[in-house]
Amino acid sequence: MHPLTVSAAFLAISSAFLLYGLSYDTRQLEARVAAEERRAELARSDIAVLKAERAHLARPSRIEPLARAQGLAPLTDKQVTDSVPASDIRTGAVNR
Amino acid sequence: MKGAARGGRQTRSPELARSRADILRGTGGLRTRLVMLGIAFLFGSIALQLARLATTGGLDMVATLTEPVARSYVRPDILDRGGRLLATDIEMPSLYADPFLVQSIDEVTERLGGVLPDLNEGELRRTLSDRNRRFIWLKRGMPPKVAQRVHDLGLPGLDFRTELRRAYPLERLAGHVLGSVNVDNRGISGIERAIDDTIGVEPSHGAASNAGTPVRLTLDLGVQHAVEDELLGAMTRFEAKGAAGLVMDIRTGEMLAASSLPGLDPSQPGEALAPERLDKIQGGTYELGSIFKILTVAMALEGGNTKLDTVLDVTKPLTAGRFTIKDLHSSGRPLTVSEVFIHSSNVGSGLLALAEGPDKQKAFLEKLGLMTPMRTDAGPVAPPQLPPRFGRVEQITVAYGHGMAVAPIQFAAATAAVLNGGTAVTPTYFRGRNDAATPGARLVSAETSNSLRVLLRRNVSEREGTGRRADVPGYRVGGKTGTAEMPGRGGYQEKSVVASFLAAFPMDAPQYLVLVLLFEPKGTAEADGEVLAGRNAAPTAGRVIARIAPLLGVKPDGDVAQLPAGTP
Repeated sequence: MHPLTVSAAFLAISSAFLLYGLSYDTRQLEARVAAEERRAELARSDIAVLKAERAHLARPSRIEPLARAQGLAPLTDKQVTDSVPASDIRTGAVNR
Repeated sequence: MKGAARGGRQTRSPELARSRADILRGTGGLRTRLVMLGIAFLFGSIALQLARLATTGGLDMVATLTEPVARSYVRPDILDRGGRLLATDIEMPSLYADPFLVQSIDEVTERLGGVLPDLNEGELRRTLSDRNRRFIWLKRGMPPKVAQRVHDLGLPGLDFRTELRRAYPLERLAGHVLGSVNVDNRGISGIERAIDDTIGVEPSHGAASNAGTPVRLTLDLGVQHAVEDELLGAMTRFEAKGAAGLVMDIRTGEMLAASSLPGLDPSQPGEALAPERLDKIQGGTYELGSIFKILTVAMALEGGNTKLDTVLDVTKPLTAGRFTIKDLHSSGRPLTVSEVFIHSSNVGSGLLALAEGPDKQKAFLEKLGLMTPMRTDAGPVAPPQLPPRFGRVEQITVAYGHGMAVAPIQFAAATAAVLNGGTAVTPTYFRGRNDAATPGARLVSAETSNSLRVLLRRNVSEREGTGRRADVPGYRVGGKTGTAEMPGRGGYQEKSVVASFLAAFPMDAPQYLVLVLLFEPKGTAEADGEVLAGRNAAPTAGRVIARIAPLLGVKPDGDVAQLPAGTP
């Protein structure tokens, strides 16, 4: 057989193996990417549900009765004052 | 002859054979080349196809082939001004059927009916028997637990797709403003509709994807809740059929709260069809009564001929055709313009309007934007109902808020302009659309605005003021009451009223405008048997302000009953 034919056949067979190997690797990587994307999607969907649940639990109509049961009430004007020097507070000079 | 003939053949044959071999050799080479070319072409095309698949990827093709036609839309989250969540998309399984693969329609309808009792069996049977269709939605957006039970039935031909569904974690809070979406997750009303129209939504393939930047509203969750809670309390205390309230930034028009009761659950769009659940803030128009006198006095002061101490003779009733207009509690003496406002004199207001004339009155209302339909981000506002002409009767009645019906939000915007120093505001629900640094067009003078602030504050701080029950110590509340009889069969009904209170605070430099409306309140013991706004709407507004002022960071200060007035 002509040496050229032999080398061509060898080249063809080896490149076929190489191509197959490459394609196999690509498929594996694609499967991994898809799996990761699915996980990311799942995580994103979980985050959305958790965010909605947190907002639902923190809704004012639920928090208000809980806060009132703790003895809390809305701020009144009596509880707000200008900032005063610490020395005045100690001496009792501030009397609102 | 024969021999010669044979001889001739013999002598010719080697030539002939040579030429034949030549021909044969020549033909054989061509054939081999053709075959080789063909094979090379085949291999070449295979290599090309391989290269194409390697670069483009065959998975997409598979995905598009199995993709059903129906799809839902991805919506951005809606946040309040503090970044708290009002609406979001969550994934939910939706059930569909492929009638071609369904083996027994009876089994499917029977067993599915056991898990999903609200499924229409007749309809299901009918759609499943059409075997030409390959995709039919059976139930969209179901809880994962129910989906699992359907899955466990193991019925062939049924499958799930995860779809995005809109969730409103705060239930009914701000339901009217938020609006709702349809089954494909597209906005059909309120802010949801505005998002579709202005920002745009993208179709999804069921998977959670990046929904883009969240939409930030001007609403404040805490303020919204306080308003709704107080309105609900007032509805109970005064046995009112409905209530509405809004809080607006008086300079920018940003809406911090807008509530209409009975409320609306955005996840139940069908509720919006009930007439009592109409959005009373911008979906309905009402004769608002005496709170209109704020505009009448502003118009008179703008005219230049009237001052706050101008005296008007309000002792005699006003007549216009067959109508006689008189005051509920006549003081029996002439009143100054300030007193007309504080005593809420209908006769005095009528006189002020008549003095200006119909053209000026119309022009003033036009300038404040009350004569033309208005739009907010949450959709169109119900167009104002105007008198067909401004005759003497209409002039007088409009002066005290009858004969002309406007949506509360439109009236609030007009009044905000009168009280904020005189510049126009446009109500908005989207944060950042209105800029405080660029004030709107000037509608009334700063002097007029200041005079009205003084009047509103006096109406709350003075003993004879109709709005004294709205006072909140430290927060310098100013306001005006309005009690409008509701039109019914055979004219106005005395006992069925819309009680309203328009307030602003702190009155030395107003920051927020509060409007409270109570629909058909009863004269309960708490209101001393009266249905007047001073007895129900005013104290409600006071309670709202007492709760929201600290939330909004308004600093309480010593009471300033008498403000430095521009005009006496």
